[in-house]
Amino acid sequence: MDTLVARYSRPAYLENELFSEQDEQDLNDAVPSFSLKFAMPPVAHPSAWLRAASDDRSNPSCPIKIAHGTTTLAFRFQGGIIVATDSRATAGNWIASQTVKKVIEINSDLLGTMAGGAADCQYWLAWLGMQCRLHELRHKRRISVAAASKILANLVYQYKGMGLSMGTMCAGVTKEEGPALYYIDSDGTRLAGNLFCVGSGQTFAYGVLDAEYRYDLSVEDALELGSRSILAATHRDAYSGGFINLYHVKESGWEKHGFNDTNPIFWKTKLDKGEFSNVTSDLSERV
Amino acid sequence: MSSPFSINGGACVAMVGKDCVAIACDLRLGLQALTVSNNFPKVFQYGDVFLGLTGLATDVATVSDLFRYKVNMYRLREERGIAPKTFANLVSSSLYERRFGPYFVSPVVAGLDPKTGEPFICGFDSIGCIDFSKDFIVSGTATDQLFGMCESLWEPDLAPEDLFETISQALLNAVDRDALSGWGAHVYIIEKDKVTKRLLKGRQD
Amino acid sequence: MPGFDFSNYNRNAALHARGVPLPKATSTGTTIVGCIFEGGVVIAADTRATSGPIVADKNCEKLHYISPNIWCAGAGTAADTEFTTALISSQLELHSLSTGRKPRVVTCMTLLKQHLFRYQGHIGAYLVVAGVDSTGVHLFTVHAHGSTDKLPYVTMGSGSLAAMSVFETQWKAQMTQDEAVKLCSEAILAGIFNDLGSGSNVDVAVITPDKTTLKRNYIKPNERTQKLKSYKFARGTTAVLNEKIIRKEDLGNFVSVQEIHVAEPGDKMEVDV
Repeated sequence: MDTLVARYSRPAYLENELFSEQDEQDLNDAVPSFSLKFAMPPVAHPSAWLRAASDDRSNPSCPIKIAHGTTTLAFRFQGGIIVATDSRATAGNWIASQTVKKVIEINSDLLGTMAGGAADCQYWLAWLGMQCRLHELRHKRRISVAAASKILANLVYQYKGMGLSMGTMCAGVTKEEGPALYYIDSDGTRLAGNLFCVGSGQTFAYGVLDAEYRYDLSVEDALELGSRSILAATHRDAYSGGFINLYHVKESGWEKHGFNDTNPIFWKTKLDKGEFSNVTSDLSERV
Repeated sequence: MSSPFSINGGACVAMVGKDCVAIACDLRLGLQALTVSNNFPKVFQYGDVFLGLTGLATDVATVSDLFRYKVNMYRLREERGIAPKTFANLVSSSLYERRFGPYFVSPVVAGLDPKTGEPFICGFDSIGCIDFSKDFIVSGTATDQLFGMCESLWEPDLAPEDLFETISQALLNAVDRDALSGWGAHVYIIEKDKVTKRLLKGRQD
Repeated sequence: MPGFDFSNYNRNAALHARGVPLPKATSTGTTIVGCIFEGGVVIAADTRATSGPIVADKNCEKLHYISPNIWCAGAGTAADTEFTTALISSQLELHSLSTGRKPRVVTCMTLLKQHLFRYQGHIGAYLVVAGVDSTGVHLFTVHAHGSTDKLPYVTMGSGSLAAMSVFETQWKAQMTQDEAVKLCSEAILAGIFNDLGSGSNVDVAVITPDKTTLKRNYIKPNERTQKLKSYKFARGTTAVLNEKIIRKEDLGNFVSVQEIHVAEPGDKMEVDV
C-alpha cells in the first residue's frame, strides 16, 4: 500500500528549498519505472521474510549474511568538504574484507558514502549517478547536491520497510550552494548539515571530530582531522578497520587523498604524538 | 542475543615443538562491537603449567581464579607442582561437575612433563571433554581461522625460536580476520629450563 | 558419586530463556560397532570428534576401558561417554573388590542403564558394551534414555546405518576371530567414508576369555601426506614489543619474602572495653 501511495502521490518538498520546475519534473522522472521492479521471493510477506533471513543480530545463524559495520564521516569547512571512511566489511564476526571502497564516486563532482548494506549502497548510488547524468544531458548543467540527494531520498522512501539498509552521505560543492552535505538513510531521512558520522563506529568518530572541528579549518588540518577521527573509530569499534579512505571535495570536483593502512598510521600516531596511551608495550598483567 | 562465547571475544592457541611447547592469546576484551580493554591476557601460569581460557570474560576470570586455588591446594597437599597431564584431568573433572550449568569457557592446557620433559597440550569443550593433540589446539572466536592457519603452518619438531614465529604468525593472521579478537598478543615459549614471554605488536583495529 | 554442581544452572537457564544458545559440546558424531564371534567379542570405532561442522579431534579414542574383560564404545556427547564409562568403571572395580569376583557384563550394563535412565536422556551417552565373564560372551547397546538391547551384532552413532548395511549383507553365525575383526573394521570403514560425522582411523578391541587386545589405529585409511614445502618463517619475522625470560634457576628471585614481626610473649589480645 505504501508503495502504491508513494508511486501516485507527488513528493512533498520542503518549503525552504528552492527547486526549479525542471528540478521538480526530474524528481518525478526519477521515480523508478516498471523495469526497476525486483523479483520477490514467493512468500506472503517478502520484507518480513528477508528480515528474518538476514538479521544476524537476532539470529546469528541466519542464512543470508549482509555485510555491514562501518565508520564513515564527512564534514563541511571553508575549503570544501572532507569525506573519510574505514574499509572493513564484516559478515557476523568474520572479517570479509579489509579493502572495501566505501566512498562511492557518483561522478567527478559528487561523492557518496557507504554504510549498511554494501550492495544496496553500491547499486543505488550507481543508479543515482545515472540519474545525475540524465539531468545534465537534459538541462545542460550540473545537478544540485540538494536535488541529487532528494532523488535518492525519494527512491529509498518508496522501498521503506522492504529491507533496504543504507546510511549514506552525499557531498558536493556547487557554485549555487557552496559546499553541500546531505545525510540520507533507508528510513527515508534526509538531512542537510555541517558534519555527519555514520555507522557502527560513528560515536567514536564524533568524539574526535566534535572536539577539534571548526568551520575555518585549513585544508591540511581538515584532512588530518578526518583521518584521525576514522583512526579512533577503527581502534575502538570491532567492526571498523583496515584502511583510511580520504577525499577532499572542492568546487572543481573531488580529489583523492590516499587509501592508507591504519596499522602504520596507528603506531606513528602513538609513538610520535604519544596518543593511544591505553595501548601499552608493558608485559604487566591486567590494567 | 548473541552466544556467551562471542560477547567478549578472544582467541587462544597452543602448539607442540621439539622439546618445547608454546601457548599464545590475544589481549582484547570487548562488549560486542566496543573494545573495552586491550590488556586482558587469557593465558594464566600456574607454576609449570599454563592454562588458556577463552569465552565469557566473567567466567574466564572466575575459572582462572578457581584453578589457581585448586593448583595451590594441590601443591600444599602433595608438596610438589602439578603435572600438565594431572592438571588436564583436574580441569576436565571440574568442568564436568558443572555438566548441567557449565562455565562458558573453552580451556587450553600446555606444559612440559616435569619428569620426562615431554611436551603436552590439550583442549576442552565447556563441559570438560578433553581433546588430546600431538600438534596444536585452538580456541576462541577465531577458532575457524586458527584451524586454517595451524593446519597449514604447523610442522613437527620446530625449535623454540621457529615455534615462536609459527605460533605468532598463526595467531596474528587469524585474529586479523576476526572482528572480536586481536589488539595485541602474548606468547609463551616453554622450554625445559626457561620460559620466554613475549608481547607481540599486532594490528590495533 | 559426588554428583553434579548446578550452581550455574539458573544463570544459564535465564540466559537461555532470553534466547542465548546453549554451548556446543564436542560430539563424537560417530560410527561404533560390536560383533560376537566363536569364543569372544569385537568392538570397533572411528576416531573423529566434531564440534558443529569442525573436526575437533582427528584421532580421538572412543573405546573406553571398563574392566580388563569389559570394554565400551561410546557415541554422542563426548564428555558424557568419557565420564559415564569412567564412573561405572570405578563403581565396578569397587564392586569386584568387595565381592572378590570378576565383574560381569550384565552388571556393567545395568549400572549404565540405571544411571542414564535417572538422568532422563540429559546425559547424551550412547554406548556399545562388550565383554567376557563367567557367564559367557556378551554384547549390549545402551541408549541415553536407558533402553538396552542384546544382539549378536550392533551399530550405533550417526554412521550406524552405513555400518549396519555392512553387517546385514556380510554377517554370518559362528565367525572366527579374524572374520569378526575384518567385518567390524569394514563396517567402521563404511561409516568413515559414507558418514560425514565419522572419519579418520579404525580402532578395534578384541575381548576373549583369556585376554583383551586393543588395536589402536588398526587401519589408517586417511594418512595425511607430508607437505612438500615448509612454511617455516625466517627468525625475526614477528614484531615483538617486549620480552621477559624466566629461567628455572632464577625462579627463587621471584619469590617475595615478607618479614613477619613475632609478637612478644604474653601480649594480650586487644578487646573493646
